[in-house]
Amino acid sequence: METKAYLMIKTAREDGGDGHKSAIKELEAMPEVEAVVPVSGEYDLVGIAIADTPQAVVGVANTIQAKEWVKSLHVLKVEPVAPNPFLEEVCSTPGGETVRWCAQCGTCSSSCPNVAQMDYSPRKIIALIRAGRRYDVLTSNTMWICASCYLCTVRCPRDVKITELMHTLERLSVRHGLSLGRATAAMYRAFVDSIRKNGRVHELGMMMRFYLSTLPTGKMNPLATIKMLPLALKLFLHGRMSIKPTKIKGSKQLKTIVEKARASGGAR
Amino acid sequence: MKYYTYFPGCSSSEGTAVAYGLSTQAIASPLGMELIELEDWNCCGSTPYGSTNELEAVCVAARDLALAEKTGLDLVTPCSSCYTTLNKVNSQLKEYPDLKVKVDECLAAADLKYKGEVKVRHLFEVIYNDIGLDVVKSKVVNPLRGLRVAPYYGCQLVRPEPGFDNPWNPQSIDHLIVTLGAEAVPYPLKDRCCGGSLVIPEVDIALGLIHKLLESAASNGAQCIVTVCPLCQTNLDAYQGMVNRKFRTKYNLPILFFTQLLGLALGVEPKALALDKSIVSAEAILAPYIKVTKPAV
Repeated sequence: METKAYLMIKTAREDGGDGHKSAIKELEAMPEVEAVVPVSGEYDLVGIAIADTPQAVVGVANTIQAKEWVKSLHVLKVEPVAPNPFLEEVCSTPGGETVRWCAQCGTCSSSCPNVAQMDYSPRKIIALIRAGRRYDVLTSNTMWICASCYLCTVRCPRDVKITELMHTLERLSVRHGLSLGRATAAMYRAFVDSIRKNGRVHELGMMMRFYLSTLPTGKMNPLATIKMLPLALKLFLHGRMSIKPTKIKGSKQLKTIVEKARASGGAR
Repeated sequence: MKYYTYFPGCSSSEGTAVAYGLSTQAIASPLGMELIELEDWNCCGSTPYGSTNELEAVCVAARDLALAEKTGLDLVTPCSSCYTTLNKVNSQLKEYPDLKVKVDECLAAADLKYKGEVKVRHLFEVIYNDIGLDVVKSKVVNPLRGLRVAPYYGCQLVRPEPGFDNPWNPQSIDHLIVTLGAEAVPYPLKDRCCGGSLVIPEVDIALGLIHKLLESAASNGAQCIVTVCPLCQTNLDAYQGMVNRKFRTKYNLPILFFTQLLGLALGVEPKALALDKSIVSAEAILAPYIKVTKPAV
């Protein structure tokens, strides 16, 4: 049975930060080590190791203890790992594997311009993913009101690719049929269909399709849609809305690529 | 003369940001740039495609990169979203070899091949780094003295790709504004989000963000905001009226593309800069500067 052990490690390195950095690097390079976090106090580092059996986890702890720079090692807790298929699913996408690195500091949530409107803040979303709460995560509005501003991503001290994670959650939400009625999902559909058809986005067509598609769901107020008409007219009168879509010459070539990609399944 | 492969992106080629595309073409030759449009380019896919189907999205962008690779030149785009999307695909193909194998197969089905050698660059960065502000300064014939401009970077010019400017406190647009003889006002929200494409499905959230950006610029005494992104311009310009109605404000801030401001200072014929396509007219604030007609050589 897959087993997880929490290891408290004291290093023999006196040079504080930099010595710890190389120790962390060395530990992170071990395939069994899931995470390493520096701590203060009696011990210098906390590591989480995962292996197939309790015996194997003890073996990992012994290997670490045998390293010349380890002064002492204490096994804090050993517990069986409950299967978490949702976490695995997220981690299999490009960038998704970074959720394992999150230290729950909340820098992402405090950077997000739209956090006040979110069901769960970015930090909470990551906690829920790691708790395996697929339904709660994929039915939330969080990823649908992420504007892809990347502020969380550049500020994250653990290099979690939070914006990419939001895109991943959008895809999974659609794939599991949990995005019904989400206006952003409808807009994305109209946008992507415009590319699949012509090779380029035809803004007027995309917007018309989006507003029409949201009317029957009741998600968008019909009045709100009508309110957009003067805006569209203004853009049109300023020569900023082309009536006819432009089709690229290579639209057949693009179609071949898209169909082949669809037949190949997932990205990785 | 410096040569580049040019990727206008959907909105700058004939859509809501057509003024960006036109003004880009107008300033290219005065600055010694030859922008050769990538033949038969397709949409980069932007955020919506990547949020719909990952592999498909990467492949669609890879078609552009494969076509661009044949030209052997850097790929330059004025659109911050195209810049980020194409760069992201480039780095994902390097980072995930299993993804690259799949993308190669999909491209091969359409007789295309991408080795991964195209350098994707933002037009602003090219002007800032390749042309250089010294050269720009030497070509300014119509300094915009006294014009107070808020430098608006938006998100995707400085994030997430590192290297070009400080992602926390970028300075490059400030420097350009000063080079053109104008004044860059302090703009604390210079890199905050305008809402991007959320303006369509979640208009109320976006209006709140746009309101904050306009408020910050106006309270710092800006007469206009200058931007490097087609979506930022559309959101701040076209939705300004809705912001005024919703928040009972009276903002009247023209939103200019940096290429328009640059063109004006270089003495490019104002007509060629498509200033008339702005919904909030810039006529009043720019009137003192629209006088020189001889373009710089």
